[in-house]
Amino acid sequence: MARRLVRISALLTLPIAISVVLVSVFTRAGTHVLFTIGPFDATVEGVDFAAQTLVRLFAISTSIGLFGLTTDPRSFVLDLERRGLSPRFAFVAAATLESVPAMVERASVIASAQRARGLDTEGSIRARLRGLLPLAAPVILSSLTEVEERSLALEVRAFGKPGKRHLLWRMPDSRTQLAVRALLLLLLFLAIGARLTGTLPSIL
Amino acid sequence: MLQLTGASYRYAGYRNEVLHEIDLRLDDGEIVGLVGPNEAGKSTLCLVASGLAPASIGGSLRGELTIDGQHTAGLSTHELAERVVVGFQNPNTQRSGIAATVFEEVALGPMNLGLEVAETVERTREAIALLRLEGIIRRDPTRLSGGQSQLVGIASLLAMRPSHVILDEPTAQLDPAGTRLVGEALRSLAATGTSLLIAEHKTDLLDGLCSRIVAIDGGRIVMDGPPATVFDDPRLVEIGVEPPSRSRLSRALSGGGFDPSVVTDALRAAS
Repeated sequence: MARRLVRISALLTLPIAISVVLVSVFTRAGTHVLFTIGPFDATVEGVDFAAQTLVRLFAISTSIGLFGLTTDPRSFVLDLERRGLSPRFAFVAAATLESVPAMVERASVIASAQRARGLDTEGSIRARLRGLLPLAAPVILSSLTEVEERSLALEVRAFGKPGKRHLLWRMPDSRTQLAVRALLLLLLFLAIGARLTGTLPSIL
Repeated sequence: MLQLTGASYRYAGYRNEVLHEIDLRLDDGEIVGLVGPNEAGKSTLCLVASGLAPASIGGSLRGELTIDGQHTAGLSTHELAERVVVGFQNPNTQRSGIAATVFEEVALGPMNLGLEVAETVERTREAIALLRLEGIIRRDPTRLSGGQSQLVGIASLLAMRPSHVILDEPTAQLDPAGTRLVGEALRSLAATGTSLLIAEHKTDLLDGLCSRIVAIDGGRIVMDGPPATVFDDPRLVEIGVEPPSRSRLSRALSGGGFDPSVVTDALRAAS
């Protein structure tokens, strides 16, 4: 679990991290120059700023990754609805969370079907790029068709009816969980307070 | 009673109408089979008879749809859903995508109607029992076979307890046992006074189930009558619909100089 979490966080952080490091290290004004590449100076201040930003980014992506790994999206959304979220918004949130694995599965089926028709999807980079369009077009078009049919099927089941829905179940919520949540909230406020008063250094 | 009178429909953005002057009436408790070749307009007729076209998907409708004596023009889709439901061919698009179990999936419709939990659970259990889905109620709806998904889709509609049910190829992904199961469930439903319109290519299912068959071709109703009359009509083959095995056997026997009524009567008695 921990290894998976680190991997997910690293993957989430990586694209932004690369640009942050490049921009911060080479464009941040500073007095201590480490080395120079062409017109760009890499400064100690730039490295310091990049490191602080990376820590923040990693903390955010780890929180998102931990949430994704420990929470069933459907349970989460239904519980939010029980707590007052609009059913329409709950559906949009759930559908968004569900759409990624569904699209990956559809893409895999379409790729298999296209391979059976002789499309080269595993050769050189050029061959893979050539095969991208015959894969992407059916994935996008079938997704759009499915969205329309699914919205019709939901309307048939009175999804658009206004008013409160009586949900079938409630998530188990023990006293321990409640206490931990309260404690975390308290820590959050304490951290914000400490940060604002300067008790904590800016890295936190 | 659900009635279409002089209904002609054109999809939004299209110049030509795909349904022409359709007159169709479903009496309470009646099961009507809808047959026709591909592109004949069966699915469009299902959408128009359910009110989804034009209420939800747009387009323009000439003529009128009345449900239990009430004109449907101006009714919202959720108001229509309390009277008539329609099931589509692809079971994957019938799934809400927000239910964690089959039970919750089936319960979604009654829940949307704002019913109390006890009523929702009762309707859900009833629909599940009707399609014998008790063994999979805890399963993830996204991890079912095509046939199971189709049965869950039908159960989800039946749990709404509508007065009228329209099904577009409800057994497309079902094996013979599943097809028979759906047939039995629909027969039980009709016995409670619900009217059904079933668009199907499996004419054997319709032959044993329906009290009336409507054949459609090129967006027009070309035949409307009792199953024996429509299925034995040679024009059915001409428009590209395969008659049920009973009709084909009867025709083969007649061609061989035998009396087909003996065999068909025996088949009817057996079924």
